[in-house]
Order: sequence, then C-alpha cells, then structure tokens
Amino acid sequence: MASSGAGYDYSPSTFSPDGRIFQVEYANKAVENSGTGLGMHCSNGIVLCVEKQRSSNMLVPHSTSGKRVHSVGKHAGMAFTGFVSDARQLVNRAREEAANYKETYGSHVPPAVLADRMSAYVHYFTCHGALRPFGATAIIGGYDPDLKEHALYMVEPSGVSYQYYGCVAGNGRQACKTEMEKLNLTGKNVSGGDPVTVNEAVKQMARMVYMLYEDKDDAKKDKLELEMSWICEDSKWEHASVPSEIVNEAIEWAKEDIAAAQEEDDDDEDEDDVMED
Amino acid sequence: MSRDSNYDHHISIFSPQGRLYQIEYAFKAATASTTATAVRSSKNNCACIVSQKKLPDGNRLIVADSPTVSNLHSVTNSIGCILTGRVPDCKALLQRLRYEAADFTFKFGYACPVSVLAKRVADLAQVYTQSASMRPLAVQTILIGPGEVFKVDCAGHFLPFKGTASGSKEQEAINYLEKITGNFEDMNQDEVVRSAIMALGSVLGSDFRGSELEVGIVNGNERFRKLTEDEIEGHLNVIADSDA
Repeated sequence: MASSGAGYDYSPSTFSPDGRIFQVEYANKAVENSGTGLGMHCSNGIVLCVEKQRSSNMLVPHSTSGKRVHSVGKHAGMAFTGFVSDARQLVNRAREEAANYKETYGSHVPPAVLADRMSAYVHYFTCHGALRPFGATAIIGGYDPDLKEHALYMVEPSGVSYQYYGCVAGNGRQACKTEMEKLNLTGKNVSGGDPVTVNEAVKQMARMVYMLYEDKDDAKKDKLELEMSWICEDSKWEHASVPSEIVNEAIEWAKEDIAAAQEEDDDDEDEDDVMED
Repeated sequence: MSRDSNYDHHISIFSPQGRLYQIEYAFKAATASTTATAVRSSKNNCACIVSQKKLPDGNRLIVADSPTVSNLHSVTNSIGCILTGRVPDCKALLQRLRYEAADFTFKFGYACPVSVLAKRVADLAQVYTQSASMRPLAVQTILIGPGEVFKVDCAGHFLPFKGTASGSKEQEAINYLEKITGNFEDMNQDEVVRSAIMALGSVLGSDFRGSELEVGIVNGNERFRKLTEDEIEGHLNVIADSDA
C-alpha cells in the first residue's frame, strides 16, 4: 500500500493505487498546520472566529487589512484557515457568486447555495493536472432573509462541504471539536445544558482558543488576536464583527475560567497528596 | 502480479498488459463508500433506490437531516439518482446530470429519458479517461426512472439492470439480488422497495431503523420522491413481520 504517496502525489489528476488523491490530502495538511478557525450555529445566530498570531510588533493590531473573516453579500460571512492568499481568491469568488445570484434571482444568496457553489469551485481545482487544490478551508455562516433561517457550512480543500452545528479547522481542531461536543449545539445534548446563544458562543470560542494556548509561552499568548463575527438579531441579521467590548469581555472571562479550572485541578492534586498520607 | 508501476501515473498511458491503472484506482475510490441497492419492475413501471445513511466520520456536529449529507437526489421529476464515491466528485456530477437533463428538455421539448441521460453521463466519463489533464470522477451512479434502473461507472460503462448495487458491499448485494431477480417483474412499488431494503439488510447484516436508511421511489403515477421516516418504518415492519 503506497501510503507515502511516492510518485502518485505530484498531480491532482493522479489516483494512488488505493484510490486516494494525495495532492488533496496534502492541501488538507496545509490547513491543519494553520491557525484555528471555528464556527457555531447557535439558537439565535451564527458566530465565526479565527485566531491570528500577530507576526510582528510593527503590524497595526486589529487593522482592516489582513482580516481572516470576510463578509460576502449582506447576510453571509466566511472565515478562513490555511493559506491566506488562496483564501483571498475564494473570498473574491464567493462575492462574485453572491452578486451574480442577486442579479439573476433578485434575492440574497441563501447560505446553502453559496456553500454549494464554493464547494463546486474548490472541487474543480482538484480535478485538473494543471491546477492545484486550494490550501484553505472556508467556514461559511449565513442567513436567508426569505426563510428567516440561519445556517453554518464548512468547505474543505477537497470540495467536501456539510452543514454543521459546530465546526473547527486548523491546528486546534481536535481539542476544539471535543469541547464543542460538550455544548448543547444540536438541541439534543444528553447533558441537558441550555441551547447555546450567540453571546455564550462568543465566550466559549474565546475559551477554546485560549485553552489551546494554555501551555504555550507568554510571547505567543501576547501575540494572539481573535477575529470574531456574528450574524444575529443584534446585528440585524447582517454579517458584522462582534463589537470589541464583547470580544474583550469574552477573553477576560475565558482567561478567568481557564485559571479557575486550573486551580481546581491543582486542588484535586493536593487533595490526593493529602489522602495518600 | 507485476503492477507495472511505471504505467499507472497517468490516465493516458496503457500498461504493457493493456490496462489503464488510473481507472482501476478511480474505481477503488468510487466503491469505498456506503452501499446502496436499486430494483425495478418494468411491468409495473416502478423503481426504487435504497441507501445507507451515515454521518461522515460519525461527526455528530454535522446536521444529519441536511441535504448535504444525503447521496440520494432527484435529477428531474421522473429521474432519481444515487451517487456514491468521492463526495465532491458526486456533487459535481449531480450538477452536470441536472444540467444535461434540463438541457435535453429545453432543446427537444420532452422529458429526458433515463437511458439518454445515462448514455450522456457515460460519454462524459469516458472523455475524462482519455484526456491527460483531467482525472476520472470517482463516482458510481445509479439512475432510476419509472421501470428503469441504469448504472454508470467511472470508466463510462453503462447498462440497464433489473436490480443492482453500488458501494463497498456491492458484490454481495448483487449476489443476493441475483437470487431473487426472477420475481421483480411482478412486484408493485411497495414490494420493490422491500426487496431493495432486504438486499441491503442481508449485506449489512443488521436491523435498520427508519433513520438509518434513505429510500427514493419513482413510478408512473408520482414523481421521484424520498420516503419519509414513517413510511420507511412501515416497510421495515412489514419485512420484520413476514420474517417472524
């Protein structure tokens, strides 16, 4: 079994002997090595979040350039992880699709259609020998003003796209996915917590990202920036950035919550020591 | 078996034994998916597809009843299909199927017959096996219309069937169907559905709940539609009673 690729991995138009397309898998790896992006479908809206490392102190923080969450049309947003330049191409294409839909059909593109078109576009680049797959995963959140429904999708470099209650991509995806499954996003949570609202989601996402950085050195923690956006009643169902006060509050809460959990663990350990005596 | 490993990197290269390995690898990718069965009765003008419904990677964060998870699709009012294999390839092929069928109706003024659509898709698949720059789409297609079942594979073969299957357990399902194929012609819509479900059940070796299956039917009286969970449960109960 040629699981190493070994000659079958030079082109997206080559299948390996076990029927895999290695170029697409490698594109997925490019995403897996990048900063984490999250999306949550809440009872009253969608929240998108991407973590960024400010790569230099000379860069203006929270500036309007170098964003990783973009609006597409009025009622949809896309968050990216992976190659930022590939992602830019996808944003441009998504905006064209949205504008095209509006012109042809007269209403805002529903998130399902947008996700479908983006996944078809991304898939095209996995078929031809002359092209390479996009090294970026898009998390698409949108609101359909006609049906009055919000929905969350994720489009991967292979062109696979599903509708999600909660999705993560990037290097923190395993840890964050585990955390997301504990929340009541599907409405069918066995632990019976309340369905997650957008405000709650903002806090939880901040917590998940900061937990990823728990064991990293302070220099990295200082450079961490969170880009968050939402589509909810407060934003009049338009895609908008989460106001910075709310993000900052969420970050403070996240830090306290993590510290408190850390203390509990330490206390438990101390208790064990005492009992052993 | 010498795998002629120098000859399998490109679709346009034959091996010394005359094989096109890239197509065989595409088949491997196309059959590595959930199993589906399809049965038809040409006398009673009905057909049915049954497929397993599984959440990708068992990821419970994926919305399970969203159309994105389903393999079973309508192509026109009277043509349904199931596409198994690589998911994004399936999506691309579905777009093409719908376009070709609609284009036929636009050009010629009547509903596209299943056989014509199957041939068109097969021809497209064949082109991909002869172009150097594109790869074959790793998809197996089963098309159904009233009284017809066609299967199209990634190499561009297509044939009409009385009953067929696709996916990882297709051979076993086909073996099961071959044993009962004599009875298909006399079956009505409900019996056709039950045969397809039983074929899938025998292969997967487990009892189903309505939520684990997707069933699509089409016949002369109604357009292609998917059965509701209650209807599927109804069929499952009838099967269970007749076994008991």
